[in-house]
Amino acid sequence: MKKRVMATLLAGVMALSMMVVGCGQTSAGGPFTPKKNINWTVTSSAGGGSDIFTRMIADIMKNEDLVNGQTVVVTNKTDGAGEVGRNEVAMLKKDADYQLLTFNSGDLMPMVQNTKNRSNNFRILAIMAVDKQLLFKGENTSYDTFADVIAACQAGTKVVVGGSKGDDIATYQALLAELGISEDVLTYITYDSTGDAITAALGGHVELVISKPAAASEYVEAGSLIPVLALANERYTGNLADAPTLSEVGDYENVEVPVWRGVAGPASMSDEAVAYWSEVLGKVAETSQWKDEYIEANKLIAEYKDTAAATEYVTQYEADYMKANGIQ
Amino acid sequence: MENFVMLFQGFGTALTPVNIGACLLGAVLGLVVGAMPGIGSLAGVALLLPLTYKFNPATAIIMLGALYYSNMYGGAFSAILLNIPGDSPAVVTTLDGYPMATKRKRPGQALMTANTASFIGGIIGMIILTFMGPGLANLGLKFGPSEMTALLLIAMTSISWLVGENPIKGLVITAFGILLASMGMDTLSGAPRYEFGNMYLLGGIPFTPFVIGAVGFAQVINLINERDSDNEKRAKNAKNDTKLSIRGSMLTGHDLKRLIPPALRSGFLGTFVGVLPGAGATTGSFMGYAIQKKFKSEEELGTGAIEGVAASEAANNAAAAGAFAPLLALGIPGSGTGAVLLGGLMMWGLSPGPLLFENEPEFCWGLIASLFMANLFTLVVAVCVIPFLIKILSVPVKYMIPIITVVCVVGAYSTSNSMYGVIVMFISGVVGYLLNKNNFPSAPMLLSFVLAPILEDNMRKAFIISGGSLGIFFQRPITCVLMLIFLGIVGFSMLRPMLMKKKAEK
Repeated sequence: MKKRVMATLLAGVMALSMMVVGCGQTSAGGPFTPKKNINWTVTSSAGGGSDIFTRMIADIMKNEDLVNGQTVVVTNKTDGAGEVGRNEVAMLKKDADYQLLTFNSGDLMPMVQNTKNRSNNFRILAIMAVDKQLLFKGENTSYDTFADVIAACQAGTKVVVGGSKGDDIATYQALLAELGISEDVLTYITYDSTGDAITAALGGHVELVISKPAAASEYVEAGSLIPVLALANERYTGNLADAPTLSEVGDYENVEVPVWRGVAGPASMSDEAVAYWSEVLGKVAETSQWKDEYIEANKLIAEYKDTAAATEYVTQYEADYMKANGIQ
Repeated sequence: MENFVMLFQGFGTALTPVNIGACLLGAVLGLVVGAMPGIGSLAGVALLLPLTYKFNPATAIIMLGALYYSNMYGGAFSAILLNIPGDSPAVVTTLDGYPMATKRKRPGQALMTANTASFIGGIIGMIILTFMGPGLANLGLKFGPSEMTALLLIAMTSISWLVGENPIKGLVITAFGILLASMGMDTLSGAPRYEFGNMYLLGGIPFTPFVIGAVGFAQVINLINERDSDNEKRAKNAKNDTKLSIRGSMLTGHDLKRLIPPALRSGFLGTFVGVLPGAGATTGSFMGYAIQKKFKSEEELGTGAIEGVAASEAANNAAAAGAFAPLLALGIPGSGTGAVLLGGLMMWGLSPGPLLFENEPEFCWGLIASLFMANLFTLVVAVCVIPFLIKILSVPVKYMIPIITVVCVVGAYSTSNSMYGVIVMFISGVVGYLLNKNNFPSAPMLLSFVLAPILEDNMRKAFIISGGSLGIFFQRPITCVLMLIFLGIVGFSMLRPMLMKKKAEK
């Protein structure tokens, strides 16, 4: 019985897709609507932050019927630390309108550093969310406030900060530059993930740890991590409200290096498709599922930017990053 | 005592019909996923995770926990029967498992040994987890970069037992493994190393395709070369082969006597290694095997000894159980699979972290209870399939060669969904074959490939913390003890030949 239902269903799907393909050939030009499966590449492994971000959007697109009933196929391409996947999307010519890529600040930094691939090899479709960081201390650290840490560093005492790759390093470097302290004194250790860095802070192996609010929240609740500095222009709310910004700590400018999560497509994606995807992603950002289950659950800042604003933003971000790191 | 009561309440949660069903399903899927090379627990859990979003969290984690767990059993199947490790912890199982199944013609017993040892190791791990979970997790936290460095140095000394008759060849191959492992992006500075301008090499040599190639595909090339003589052997075997039943695969009392001591030792050791951040089941099974070298085995390890299979399998199952301690008590994933499970917890609306045991006792203890169940279910299922599995060995070589090749290709492809893995697999297969032909043992290469990157990472972190001073390795109590053990091992093996010589002279 079940088999027969499946067979009928399959036949139906096939017939439908034939019709759709047929339509596709006739309706060239005009606004873009997807007529076949959409491929979405994620350049990090399944289960991580980027993967959850992507699958959540794909899920909302399906639930809210935003992509003309088509299926979004998410593929994780992790070869070459993600560079291979990014390069493939950038170069893609065939069916470029049906290819999306999750593109975050954490992807852009190693890409610019290690390859010749640049953000202008993509069409930036949207920025979906922004995240900022804080500095936390473990419960047994000998420093009380961040002012004490600065004083210790100025007296030449070595203080070790732990954090993840990419974004956290950029923020750490901005902090160093603002404080005018050498990296031999306020030293940074790169961990594979924020989770590993927090583990090290809990064990007392590093004095401070850079983390986004979501990853540290539970430990703050339990009292095993204490926020000491908000790396943002304003204080956080809730259980992170105690952490002052850098300008409150002393005579410094605030340090804020936003961590953004965005979506891109191949350079040869048509303008119609770019406009379409930018709009669809805007609709996703408006849904309550997105706001509750993603933004709220991960303590992010909802900040949708459409393709024009996002392109300008990413281009500027890339230029700043390259300048700061002396990349030509 | 309180833990005991909680555990029983946990069984209450786990023993509902739905949850038993979820546990069984997870166990069967895990065996299949585990036995397929290339698709390890990480991929299995990641693929199944989206299906569980709509489940009740306890049911979901019970299924995924069972899958994760039974995966450790499944990995041994292909390792023993085909010499292809189903997942990375099973690499060590191939060392004795395959010879035991082929040279010693005891495939049923080899599988049974693996299952029994897995069961024992798993139970030890779970009992420790039940009574000391949070405490152990806190001990694990004490292991920072310097402690891990010292521990890994001890683990590296085990290479000296794996090098075989020709120490120089062993050292060469060890160094080769280290060099291969250092390709790709430097973990601390993000600088590319040995990437030769190739984008693929930026990510380094992927472990699973490399192992499938160096062990499994090298084996295929070997089979092709020795096809004729092998055919005769198999024909003879087929005539004598009457042991295709569970009874024929039973272990004798003497076998059990050989199996239990290493399984117990590895069980304790494995649990501990599993608890450490960044170690995991692969390191656990290597260490279990290395420790076994220190004890007496009836047959020499590497020639198909029951002790070797037991030591490796018990250690990796115990490590899998141990890894749950930091995950549940502190919200720290001990492995990639743990990280995916953690992501799952958040998806189900739970907040993993130090408060999980307090806020969600039903969930935590239900999970622990389900691990006990999963262990038992998997044992039963695994034992039942043994008679069917060992038939694989009587398949003629001319069919085996294409079949194993396909399995190798699929496994290598599925690790990153790209042909890059397949290319790595073929190249490492050819290289592995040539090395074997010239009497270079492959085990030291695999061991150094696994351990060297973790060692490098921790050692460099330790030096960053100490500002380049070696003092850090002797000032901290745990590090100092581990360092002394390390120096003791090295010193003793250097002094022993000298003492022996003196004795001989007298």
